[in-house]
Amino acid sequence: MSTEQIISMSKVCKSYKMGSERLNVLKGIDFSVDKGEFTAILGPSGSGKSTLMNIIGCMDTLDSGSYSLNGIQIDETKERDLVKIRNHEIGFIFQNYHLIPTYNVMQNIIMPMLMRGKDRRSAERDCREVVDMLELSDRLKHKPSELSGGQRQRVAIARALCSKPSLLLADEPTGALDQQSGTEVLKLFTKLHEMGSTIVMITHDMNVAKWAQRTVKIVDGEICQ
Amino acid sequence: MRFSEILNLVRINLIQNKFKVLLTSIGIIVGAATIVCVIAIGRGGQADVADQFRNLNAGALDINYEQSEGNSGFSFGGGSMPSFGGGDMPAFTQTSAKEGGSSDGSSKRSRGSSGGSMQSFGSGEMPSFSGSGEVKNREKITLSTEDMEDITASVPGLSEATISYTTKQNIYGGNIEETESYTIAGTLSDYAELSNLSLLFGDYLTDADNENKTKVCVLGYAAAKNIFGSAEDAYDSIVYIDDRPYTVGGVLAEQGSVEAGISADEAIFIPYATGIKYLTGSDISPTITVIAEDVDNIEAVAENVRSVLAATYPNAEFTISDAGSKMEAANKSNRTLTLMLIAMASIVFIIGGIGIMNVLFVSVKERTQEIGILKAIGGSRKDILLEFILEACSISLIGGIIGVAVSFAVSPLITSFSIRMEMSVTGALLALGFSLVTGTVFGFYPAWKASRLVPVEALASE
Repeated sequence: MSTEQIISMSKVCKSYKMGSERLNVLKGIDFSVDKGEFTAILGPSGSGKSTLMNIIGCMDTLDSGSYSLNGIQIDETKERDLVKIRNHEIGFIFQNYHLIPTYNVMQNIIMPMLMRGKDRRSAERDCREVVDMLELSDRLKHKPSELSGGQRQRVAIARALCSKPSLLLADEPTGALDQQSGTEVLKLFTKLHEMGSTIVMITHDMNVAKWAQRTVKIVDGEICQ
Repeated sequence: MRFSEILNLVRINLIQNKFKVLLTSIGIIVGAATIVCVIAIGRGGQADVADQFRNLNAGALDINYEQSEGNSGFSFGGGSMPSFGGGDMPAFTQTSAKEGGSSDGSSKRSRGSSGGSMQSFGSGEMPSFSGSGEVKNREKITLSTEDMEDITASVPGLSEATISYTTKQNIYGGNIEETESYTIAGTLSDYAELSNLSLLFGDYLTDADNENKTKVCVLGYAAAKNIFGSAEDAYDSIVYIDDRPYTVGGVLAEQGSVEAGISADEAIFIPYATGIKYLTGSDISPTITVIAEDVDNIEAVAENVRSVLAATYPNAEFTISDAGSKMEAANKSNRTLTLMLIAMASIVFIIGGIGIMNVLFVSVKERTQEIGILKAIGGSRKDILLEFILEACSISLIGGIIGVAVSFAVSPLITSFSIRMEMSVTGALLALGFSLVTGTVFGFYPAWKASRLVPVEALASE
């Protein structure tokens, strides 16, 4: 069965200058994700998985190789257009939630849609379904500081889902949560996967990676299938 | 992102940081308040000048003589003292009264070789003064009614002319228990009309008063109130000038201040010849005031007057000042003062702006992760730039509004120090404009820095 690829990476290299030395973080990564797939990228600390996530999330550039996201050749795209791609194509879920502390739950959730130029009222209307699904309806006026870790991560997921992205990109989504909250989040990911979402999850935890449909291991900047 | 949504984000951030906003805007508050007050004081100064010259005839020329040295203890005109005539009060100082001088003040006049032969001058012909190396104003010259008649006879384009002088004399009478020093002005009958002085009670001095050297006087409004309690009580009363009784034949209506603190309101007017006979003797330095028919022709009139006097007094140089020049000079000095104050206010604004810039830099540092989040979820450089600039502008505007309010609140305090302030909408708008510009200019760089942050690095910051 032929499936459409949403991520297609070929020979992606990335290095950083560390003092006088150059550190090769990614060494010719070949990696692809099909539409609707739930993939975990598993690797120990310092393996290059965060760098890979930044490149997948269009927040960092690659030194060489090619990267295509949903048919868009990212390695040839300018920063101005990458902003739009991040907004339209990717829903970020961070380990530390990365919610804006001064905004309430609703303001945080609708922010990507406002960035897109949508008016506040229709943005709020559009996210109502997601908010209900994530059981956040009674928390919309709360500030992030007034929520538990699990609730904050659900807000982050709601923010990622509301803009209906092609890809959900989760970086250690359970890293800051207790086991119960972490399990709830992973169950939610499974549910979203079943609903058709494409999810790429970065983790160092084998038990978390097990929840994914496919696990890709990264060690020392190279993919070990 | 929609502009309204950016504004909403700015609103949220400002509300969340109320105290910081207030502290940040202190510099702007001070700057805006200073600007409004400075403009109000400047306008007050202009209004003062306008009031002082309100009664001034635009075509009036005051002619004085100032002896260069050995000037027998008095100085008059030429800048050191305000000139008299056309609404200006003279500041003639003489401590001892002299009697029995020549009634026309011409006894010490020394006429030059061409004295007496008056010629008529055309508007274009300007006679020149004698030798440049000659020392001027060494001799004692007292302008007289004869000189005034020479001028009116020889200079074309004049509508009126008068002569006057002032002296300080001790007076008593009415409610005054101890003698007080007042400015006494010796004038002719036409002085009131020429200086636009109006009377509240009685009549002004007459030609007969002057010819008969009658001891009659007209009191300025404030003088009448000070001496007799009211203008009404003053009328037809007796006031003692240098121990001689003068009947108050009239009281002037309130005129407003004049210049250098000498006011028609506070002066006592007596007939010209009466003053010379009973108070000053011939040792006076009168001012001849002439009125040019055409204000535009005033320079030619001044030159012609100078020529007529030069024919009579070849070694003398006279000070001829016109009302317009005086007003212009007063306005100019007022403008200079205002500009200086505005420069000071600008410095305050710059300091305030630097304060805003510093706080915004700290804010950008504090909110680096927030900026990273916004960029990660699709916030463009333009959105971030606009948000931070608008925050800076808002802080400045809030500071400006508070500053304007503060300026209106403190204005009664400033005016209580006898500083005239004319608060204006223009001043308030200018202060708000300055505030906004300061916020935009000084907020731009931190905002630009924020907009250039790399999302990955911003997100990774603690």
